[in-house]
Amino acid sequence: MINIKNLKVSVEEKEILKGINLQIPEGEIHAIMGRNGSGKSTLANTLAGNEKFEVTNGSIHMNAADITEMSPENRSLNGIFVCFQYPVAIPGVSMAYFLRSAINAHLKNQGKEEMDALEFLNQSKEILKKLTLDDSFLKRSINDGFSGGEKKKSEIFQLLSLNPKFAILDETDSGLDIDALKIVADGVKEFNGKKNSTLIITHYERLLEYINPDVVHVMIDGKIVKSGDMELARQVEEKGYSWLAK
Amino acid sequence: MNEIKNNSYNQFKKLGYPTKRLENWKFSNSNHLKKYNTIISDSDIDIKEYLKTKNTLCFVNGSFIKESLENCDFKNEILISNTMDIKEQDIMKMSENFNNEALFNLGIAKFNEGIFIEFKKGNKTHIAINIVNIYDKKSENMFAPTFNIFKLNKKNNVSICEEDVNHGFDSFNLRINKFICDDDSILNHGSIYQDSTQSNLLRYNYYKANTNTIINIDSFNYESSFNKDFIEIDLDKSGAEAIVNALNLTKNDEHTDNNILINHKSEHCNSSQNVRNILQNKSTSVFNGKVVVFDGAQKTDSNQSNKNLLLSKEATAHSNPQLEIYADDVQCGHGSTTGALDKNSIFYFQSRGINKEDATQILVKAFAHAVIKTFSDENIKNNAQDHIDKWMNE
Repeated sequence: MINIKNLKVSVEEKEILKGINLQIPEGEIHAIMGRNGSGKSTLANTLAGNEKFEVTNGSIHMNAADITEMSPENRSLNGIFVCFQYPVAIPGVSMAYFLRSAINAHLKNQGKEEMDALEFLNQSKEILKKLTLDDSFLKRSINDGFSGGEKKKSEIFQLLSLNPKFAILDETDSGLDIDALKIVADGVKEFNGKKNSTLIITHYERLLEYINPDVVHVMIDGKIVKSGDMELARQVEEKGYSWLAK
Repeated sequence: MNEIKNNSYNQFKKLGYPTKRLENWKFSNSNHLKKYNTIISDSDIDIKEYLKTKNTLCFVNGSFIKESLENCDFKNEILISNTMDIKEQDIMKMSENFNNEALFNLGIAKFNEGIFIEFKKGNKTHIAINIVNIYDKKSENMFAPTFNIFKLNKKNNVSICEEDVNHGFDSFNLRINKFICDDDSILNHGSIYQDSTQSNLLRYNYYKANTNTIINIDSFNYESSFNKDFIEIDLDKSGAEAIVNALNLTKNDEHTDNNILINHKSEHCNSSQNVRNILQNKSTSVFNGKVVVFDGAQKTDSNQSNKNLLLSKEATAHSNPQLEIYADDVQCGHGSTTGALDKNSIFYFQSRGINKEDATQILVKAFAHAVIKTFSDENIKNNAQDHIDKWMNE
């Protein structure tokens, strides 16, 4: 599904990712753990196509397609979705208008008919219920005045509504209480149950305990230094990262 | 009136055309207005088309068309006379600031025929009037000054929506209005301006608000070569409230200019200004907004906001929000922002599959909608919503 080869990325001429190699097959859940500043969010933004993050070397393939130079919207239309760590607030644009525009952009790209307002409303209500969000959520401006938990749930709401092939969750677990964490974890499990692939970026192993990823990677200073199973996540939780940096 | 006109002309001669040395004209050029010196009163334009909309009063080249009154349901609810015949000094009295404006004086000196409308005492039913200002410009360099006065008596509830229609050559349209609002009255004054004849519009609107008066001012301008708007509101008595909402869309070399002065002269008065400009190409905008809270105007609540969205690197917005406060128990806020669309917001849309062009359209409309939703006049609200797409895609 996703094949990242020797990926090097700079931000304002400072190299952050220093040669990432990562393959995520269809249906698998991978997790990347790492300290603050290790390059995890840079990887998420690079996969989303944020132009602030300059790819200086390497490639990103999704199935057979080279998406390294692809525009953000075309990446999305090809099935990539990032749950952002700090999603931007956009006053004046309702969640409903935004999300329906996004869904219809995807449907149009697939040569399908646009989703009408009623169908959109019914689909949205079902997903919102699972995330314990009120229907009035649709009328609110995108992330404007949202609590930390609401922002994370908003990202999961969009994920489940767009149902991409490959999702990257950038610290979606941070700032969530235990109930919200379980709701988000259930959302991710539901998403992945549809044979999609997932990359979870996190500091902590508590979300991973709910989701049980297939592979856990540890990133230090822009490189993946170790890969393993859930046991690796537990070791990191217990011992920190220092022992892996040596 | 002739004495007033003579005095105004002398004042104009003394002051001369405004220069960039004056605060209110710092970013506006008046030189190009000098050539407009031909006053044309006669016109053979057929106004029937405009009278299809009920309750419409027509002005052609600044002169009132009496025939238009026949199609008005409210004709028995008003007293109408010629501004030239006003004898009462108080009604004629304008703001000192306007009296120091050269072109205001030129307008008073040169207007031919305006109207004084007084809404009858004791009428509490809502009266909605459309005013269509038709400019029939048969020759070049036409100058069309108008001077109208509207008096609302106690508890009158009036909506006035002004629209301009330009035919023929470019011109200099100078419009002066005074609104006197007695206790507990409500005035909604809206204006829509669009012109493809490269004409120049200069407006002086002066509002006097008494006890518990509510004044809503809505303004929507798009496609205007030169559009300069002076608004002065005196909140004279306790409980008066003024709300000014303006949305200006400019492109090419267009210039739009809002000069707003709100005088809080009494306690417990509220005011708000919400002016947004969206600029394309080499267009320019000016916001001179000022709130003065006089000594003793305690419990004033005032807010002033100007936001400018630049859709081109060559567009320029000048913003000058000011507060002058001489009372100590007041709540006043003001703010101004100028900038391009937020790249992070566009990226967020793109990351969900919405292309840059569509994202831009949605964000610009959201920016405009923040003003449109505050318009009290449904006609202006609908007009603005209808035109924003067209304006962006032209």
